[in-house]
Amino acid sequence: MDTAISVRLDLPRAPRATSIPEVRADSRTDAELIGLVADGDHRAFEELHRRYARPVLGIALRRIGDRGRAEDATQDTFASLWRSAGRFDPTRGKATSWLFTVARNAIIDGLRRRPEATVESPPDLAEPGPGPDDAAESEWVAWRVHRALETLPDDERTLVELAYWSGLSQSEIADRLDLPLGTVKTRTRSALSRLADELGDELR
Amino acid sequence: MTDLRDLVGDVDPEELERLQRVHTLLEQAGPPPSLSADMARPPARSAEVIRFPRRYRPFAAVAAVAAAAVLFAVGYVVGNNGPGAEFTVAMSGAGGASGTLEVYEMDGAGNWPMQLRVAGLADGRYALWLTRNGRLAEPCGTFAVVSGVTRVPLNAPYKLRAFDGWVVVPSGSRQPVLTT
Repeated sequence: MDTAISVRLDLPRAPRATSIPEVRADSRTDAELIGLVADGDHRAFEELHRRYARPVLGIALRRIGDRGRAEDATQDTFASLWRSAGRFDPTRGKATSWLFTVARNAIIDGLRRRPEATVESPPDLAEPGPGPDDAAESEWVAWRVHRALETLPDDERTLVELAYWSGLSQSEIADRLDLPLGTVKTRTRSALSRLADELGDELR
Repeated sequence: MTDLRDLVGDVDPEELERLQRVHTLLEQAGPPPSLSADMARPPARSAEVIRFPRRYRPFAAVAAVAAAAVLFAVGYVVGNNGPGAEFTVAMSGAGGASGTLEVYEMDGAGNWPMQLRVAGLADGRYALWLTRNGRLAEPCGTFAVVSGVTRVPLNAPYKLRAFDGWVVVPSGSRQPVLTT
């Protein structure tokens, strides 16, 4: 979570009030950013990286297991995105689906190129976990949810991550963040509501 | 499993139903991985991925190990702490499995008390290991998982700076199911 905050700090600074307002990269849709990347726009590429680095790494870890190789695969994915952005056709599907495919293909290609494991062998994905269909579904859900988390304001994302994956109770979170318990609940509710809006397709 | 009402307080039934679906998806998805310092920036944008020629790979491996040790040390110093913990380590694995290792203050004898929480692992017995150079180096204890989630105290009586990560492996196996 600390790292995620530092990623936010890499964003372009907001224009000063006296300057001419500019369109920030993070106000654009994923599809618009991919189009800009196809034209060689580095800031759009950095914004896509901010939005998708954790979802891509998440898929890579699920498929590979080993952290080092998963990080290599994630970097491969963004290198592939830079090269192939011009092939994205927004009339043929959603940007997040296209990015998911780019990530999955880059990870599989990386596994073929670098079959050796750095920590013994990678875990067997087939057993005792879910079958291929379930695994693919689970991968897609994680991709969408992790991408949606990146749309939250920092304070709400931190709350969601603490609430769901730290093992802390709401009271412990309130103590840790030095917030009233009611504020923690209100912000958590707000965060879940934003996620519901963002994940509309997944909720139907 | 976290209870949604505990998280959000009182909301009307229609909104609660909407949030419940998100709640379920969050639990299905598991935690997103944290990004290392190297991963916080995109790769060189127009460059192809550079690969070390084979004759340089030993040097690259040494550099990678050194970088991992530094990251591990940085995590040790500035990690995202739970209450009372010196630092916290996030772990993840295939199929959405995840773990959180809270490491508490070292005692006078050199023990690092820890609490490991895992989720999404198949029922069975597992072992937590410290790793060095991509290999299992020292054990930190075994534990059992029943019904997917376990929270268990463990101990690492070692100088942690000498290692570069943790893994969880099934007992008797060397195949990691959770890695840092």
